[in-house]
Amino acid sequence: MNRILLPFITYIAFVAESTVMQVLAPEHYGWGFLLIPHFSLVLIILMSCYLKPSFGIVYGMIFGLLTDLIYTDLIGVYMFSTALVAYFISVLSRYLFSNFFVAILLSAAGVAGLEFMVYGLNSLIGIADTSIDSFFYDRLLPTLILNAVFTILVYYPFVKLLKKVKKTIHEN
Amino acid sequence: MPQFFSNKRLIILLASIIVLVAMIGFSMKDREELSWPEQFLKDTVGISQSLFYKPANSIAGFFENLTEMKHMYHENKLLKSKLDEYAQLSVDVQELKKENKSLKSQLEKEADLTEYKIREASVIGRSPDRWNKFIFVNKGYRDGVKSKMAVVSPEGFIGKVAKVSAFHSTIQLISDNDRTNRISAIAESNKRIFGMIEGYDSKKQALLFKKIPVNAKLKKGQKVITSGLGEVFPRGLLIGTVKEVKPDEYGLTKTAYLKPSANLYDLDHVMILDRSMPQVDENEFKAKEEE
Repeated sequence: MNRILLPFITYIAFVAESTVMQVLAPEHYGWGFLLIPHFSLVLIILMSCYLKPSFGIVYGMIFGLLTDLIYTDLIGVYMFSTALVAYFISVLSRYLFSNFFVAILLSAAGVAGLEFMVYGLNSLIGIADTSIDSFFYDRLLPTLILNAVFTILVYYPFVKLLKKVKKTIHEN
Repeated sequence: MPQFFSNKRLIILLASIIVLVAMIGFSMKDREELSWPEQFLKDTVGISQSLFYKPANSIAGFFENLTEMKHMYHENKLLKSKLDEYAQLSVDVQELKKENKSLKSQLEKEADLTEYKIREASVIGRSPDRWNKFIFVNKGYRDGVKSKMAVVSPEGFIGKVAKVSAFHSTIQLISDNDRTNRISAIAESNKRIFGMIEGYDSKKQALLFKKIPVNAKLKKGQKVITSGLGEVFPRGLLIGTVKEVKPDEYGLTKTAYLKPSANLYDLDHVMILDRSMPQVDENEFKAKEEE
């Protein structure tokens, strides 16, 4: 049961990025900043921190590839970045205390890392045309705040679930 | 100092970077058709997107309606005055259409650049990262949608169909910054001014209307429509109005900034236009040449 639950919840978060969050997008009201949801990445980071880093690679690859195929035009950008960021953050979490605030910091660092990587790759290819400072103020900061709020909301219920999953893994 | 990458992992990382570059190269090519796994994924995700988008949209719409209540009275007055004009206009249009039809039948002209069939579709999602500006709709090739068809909202032209799966398709908006996203357009005045819509300035929120001849007289507020010369879109779809004009960096042509006539963010229902222009049959040409 719990094994199906993790991919299912991540998939729900992935779909919510393109539907629920787009209905509430700030562009509707003519505001100049961008809120980019990275909910599936936040969940993958929490998962790989509490279970093991290989989870981050596998889930990062799968959901990164989904993002590439469905939301973008290029295959490989998100697949590579999501897997790398999730793995990197989960290894980093080994050397820090695992508590609520560290988890928020780590997930924010992961979102920032992913945003920067995708911005860099897209600039190389020529899709992204924004300057670095407008990228930073109009896009990165609001995005970090949005995803930090999401992390705070899901942290306790999701970590509870992860502890249950950890038990079942140990029993097997 | 923590050990992030052992030797084995470093090799895997380098190999995956090579794979990344290869994959980007593969998908940079203009692919007309989606492979079947991609289509299957798109349809599966499309179904779950439709489940989420509609309820979320209706809840958001409810709150929007509450805020709109305030302006209702003034709007109503304005609309009533507009309605009288509209009645006159519609009569004129009917007359002109009849006249046009009879003239065409006299000329025995069959198809023309402005004719098209309409297919309605509902929006079920939008690409969350703002580098790519795609929306997803619930009509696919089973409903007769093909790639490169023009897509409009009631306010005007919004983009073209980029990828099609069985029951869903992806639409590339005109604001998307893709090299291949170019539209041949006309600024309507006494003389027709031809140019190309190429790209979007996200800071100014305006489309770039480029390659206009230097001596062309463009005015602020002029309307720009699709030309229908690319053999893909019908003629006469409203794209936007001119905001400002300036010479380009070489001084050979001019560039105009257009305010898009359609709201590219608040999209619910869109129309996919199937241009009924019969494609020229090459064999027919060859047969004629041989004669």
